[in-house]
Amino acid sequence: MSHTAPIPAPSSGPVPWPLLAGAIAISSIIFGLYWDISWHTTIGRDTFWTPAHLAIQFGAVLAGISCGFLILTTTFGGNSAARDVAVKVWGFRGPFGAFLAAWGGATMLISAPFDNWWHDSFGLDVQIVSPPHMVLATGIFFVGIGTLVMMAGPKNRAEGATRVAMERLFIYIAGLLLTLYLILLSEFTDPANMHGGTFYRVLCYGTPLLLMAFSRGSMLKWGATKAALLYFALMLAGLWIFPFFPAEPKLGPVYTRVTHMVPLAFPLLMFAPALAIDWLTARMADGNKWLLSLIAGISFLLVCMAVQWPFADFMVSTHARNHIFGMNNFPYMQPPSTYHFAWEFQGESLTAFWKDLGIGAAAAFVSARFGLACGDWLRRLRR
Amino acid sequence: MHMTRLHFRQDIRLSVGCFLLPLFLLLAFPLDAHVGSPDVYFDGHAGPYQLLVTIRPPAMIPGVAEIEVRGSDPGLNSIKGVPMYIVGEGSKYPPVPDPLQRSKDDPRLFTGRLWIMGSGSWQVRLEADGAQGPGTLAVPVPAAARRTMPMLRGLGIFLFAIMIFLVAALVTMLGAGSREAFLAPGEQPQSANRWRSWLVMGLTAFALAAILFGGNFWWDSEAEGRARGMIYKPPALSPSLDGHGNLLLKMAASRWHSNRSVIVGTRLIPDHGHLMHLFLIRSPKADCFYHLHPEMSDQNDPPAFTQTLPSLPAGHYQIFADIVRASGFPDTMTAEIDLPETTGAPLTGDDSEIVTAAITPSAVSDITAELSDGSHMIWAHDATPLRAGKAILFRFRVDDKNGKPATDLEPYMGMAGHAVFLDHDRSVFAHVHPEGSVSMAALALLEPQVEQGRPMMAMHHTMEGPPEVSFPWGFPKAGDYRIFVQVRKAGRVETGVFDAHVIE
Repeated sequence: MSHTAPIPAPSSGPVPWPLLAGAIAISSIIFGLYWDISWHTTIGRDTFWTPAHLAIQFGAVLAGISCGFLILTTTFGGNSAARDVAVKVWGFRGPFGAFLAAWGGATMLISAPFDNWWHDSFGLDVQIVSPPHMVLATGIFFVGIGTLVMMAGPKNRAEGATRVAMERLFIYIAGLLLTLYLILLSEFTDPANMHGGTFYRVLCYGTPLLLMAFSRGSMLKWGATKAALLYFALMLAGLWIFPFFPAEPKLGPVYTRVTHMVPLAFPLLMFAPALAIDWLTARMADGNKWLLSLIAGISFLLVCMAVQWPFADFMVSTHARNHIFGMNNFPYMQPPSTYHFAWEFQGESLTAFWKDLGIGAAAAFVSARFGLACGDWLRRLRR
Repeated sequence: MHMTRLHFRQDIRLSVGCFLLPLFLLLAFPLDAHVGSPDVYFDGHAGPYQLLVTIRPPAMIPGVAEIEVRGSDPGLNSIKGVPMYIVGEGSKYPPVPDPLQRSKDDPRLFTGRLWIMGSGSWQVRLEADGAQGPGTLAVPVPAAARRTMPMLRGLGIFLFAIMIFLVAALVTMLGAGSREAFLAPGEQPQSANRWRSWLVMGLTAFALAAILFGGNFWWDSEAEGRARGMIYKPPALSPSLDGHGNLLLKMAASRWHSNRSVIVGTRLIPDHGHLMHLFLIRSPKADCFYHLHPEMSDQNDPPAFTQTLPSLPAGHYQIFADIVRASGFPDTMTAEIDLPETTGAPLTGDDSEIVTAAITPSAVSDITAELSDGSHMIWAHDATPLRAGKAILFRFRVDDKNGKPATDLEPYMGMAGHAVFLDHDRSVFAHVHPEGSVSMAALALLEPQVEQGRPMMAMHHTMEGPPEVSFPWGFPKAGDYRIFVQVRKAGRVETGVFDAHVIE
């Protein structure tokens, strides 16, 4: 069936503008988020009007406005083709993903007054994971997921060059979502934690879900691997480029003398477990889904351990304390007397370690199964 | 970038509460450090420039302190301010200083806002520049979280309504998605689709309700824990009599202090020669005033002090006990005790007393006090009403019996004088020196870091001083106050008593 509506992708032609707007929105948000964290650990002081905050909120506004416009034109525009590929919510019609992304944009904007009140009441940000930030993160996830979902239907119907372009866009957004998720985990994922059970347990909660969903939902042979490689490349770019910008703290106490923007840590080697998941989903595409999820979940955990464990040995060594690996980057509020925590593995009892691994394996199985379901939904989405 | 894991574990637990924003959180602790007077007043020199500094630390920390600086020199061009810890690793590297804004109406007044990121013993370093070159002044600022701010009712209602809207929207969106998103273009949902939609909406609503309910429970305990761990309280003080005319003062352990072992510190250091300055004031009349200096009788942590009581009349006494920590952080502990009439030892050393008339609430402030040797202390105060929240330089002159400026004033514990400001209801107590409301011990810690002008501190104990003494301070609220001003005159401590009425 051919469509002339803004969202239902034609079988050929350019990628519809709402999808491009969504991709720009989520890009602006993730870049702003990285910048904001770096800002907090380098300069410290912020207001609502820092460039990093504006980049984040621009993404929210863009997602909200573009999806809102799409919903309004679909509802009131009289385009029956567009209405044919819409879902109905409270009398409004539009692509399912547009509703999710608009909801995400609204949630992001709502987090601003909450964040402001939080600052007034409990003080300024000294942490990534604060309640208003989690509201913001929820909104960001929905903008990203909404854009993915919005894209899935038209992509699944598109053909030829349009389909290739949309598949690339799908992977791009998937990589950004993975980046967002792993940034939120970043304070658990220091190399010093990589010989402990907590690191692997935390990784197993949500990462297999995302990788399985991308692997299955992208309908590409190496969908999850490509998304993980994009995350790896983006984080490396941040790690290597941000330090070229001079900056200094504007808040005390200053424990570490900082002269340039402090980047986030070296990325995780997620392309390795992603590769395993892609291979397994391709090999067992028609097999039992529970068995696939079990094998994929356990494989995720084992491959993570196989690559991150030895890599951590290198990262805590003196060889990683350079611009390339960034193990000599510390925020201004970190006392030098605590640097050694970053360079030595955290102690943990063997019982706690195996308990963490056991929970992690179970979580990875459940997460992979849910991710598989999400991937299947993405494949079947038509609206 | 690498941070310790403990940090993050604490932080991640906060995340759950994000769903509960509007439901809770409304703690308000009207607790003030230093007995109702948290603002810092300081009179000092930044090189050649005399500066009268007022710093109002934030009630919640991290937060923004407001600063006002009034220079006496018209050649003063600019002032920058930067906050740092006094001790520890955080005292080594100052962040980028902030320029204070010069008032358009009053060119000698500079104002600014400085960020205080943690409870502890801070300094605000002021860098002044002008016609006479640059100069630096460091002002100790004890900062402690005193309360959390409640959410404004309007904002709470707004956020609650938004939360309900977002939850309802999410439930119905997921319902719509499960009903129609998998249908081919133009296809109408069937009964099975609708049933699935209801199921999804039900499960989503249940899941969100569970998250909200569980998060609310979690948040209550988290908020209570924060209030316990973050909100400052001075250590409890237990007074008792030993039957031999000795007052025993046992300090209780304080987790707030021990959790901040470096930036606050638990060890005590002497403040102008004494580990504790004890003020015994008979209440409610404030007619008997004793400034004593107990000895530490138990050096364990927490310590205990013993004071041999002087002769005093029976009554109910309010106790204010000033101590200073190794970081320069001061505590004023409070307690009450009923004392029998006591025939005690004569006062010795730096101990002093006065027995006078009861405080008399009045719309007019006293300006003259008669001293025990027949001389007079005059408060240089005109008829201008005293207003709360305003920095005032309280100036007192001592005249001899013949009405001429006294020539026999000497330093009292190294300073030109000491002043105690006490609110009628005893909710405000401040022990102030000519340099201001800061502890002298904290100033001494700063001396090696910044060279600053403190002319009176350098006075030798036997050197005669000028007949005037001044104290920078500001009344934190309206009310009736009693002011005790102490100077040493011809080897004897004299106390002038003034009653003051303060309006908003």
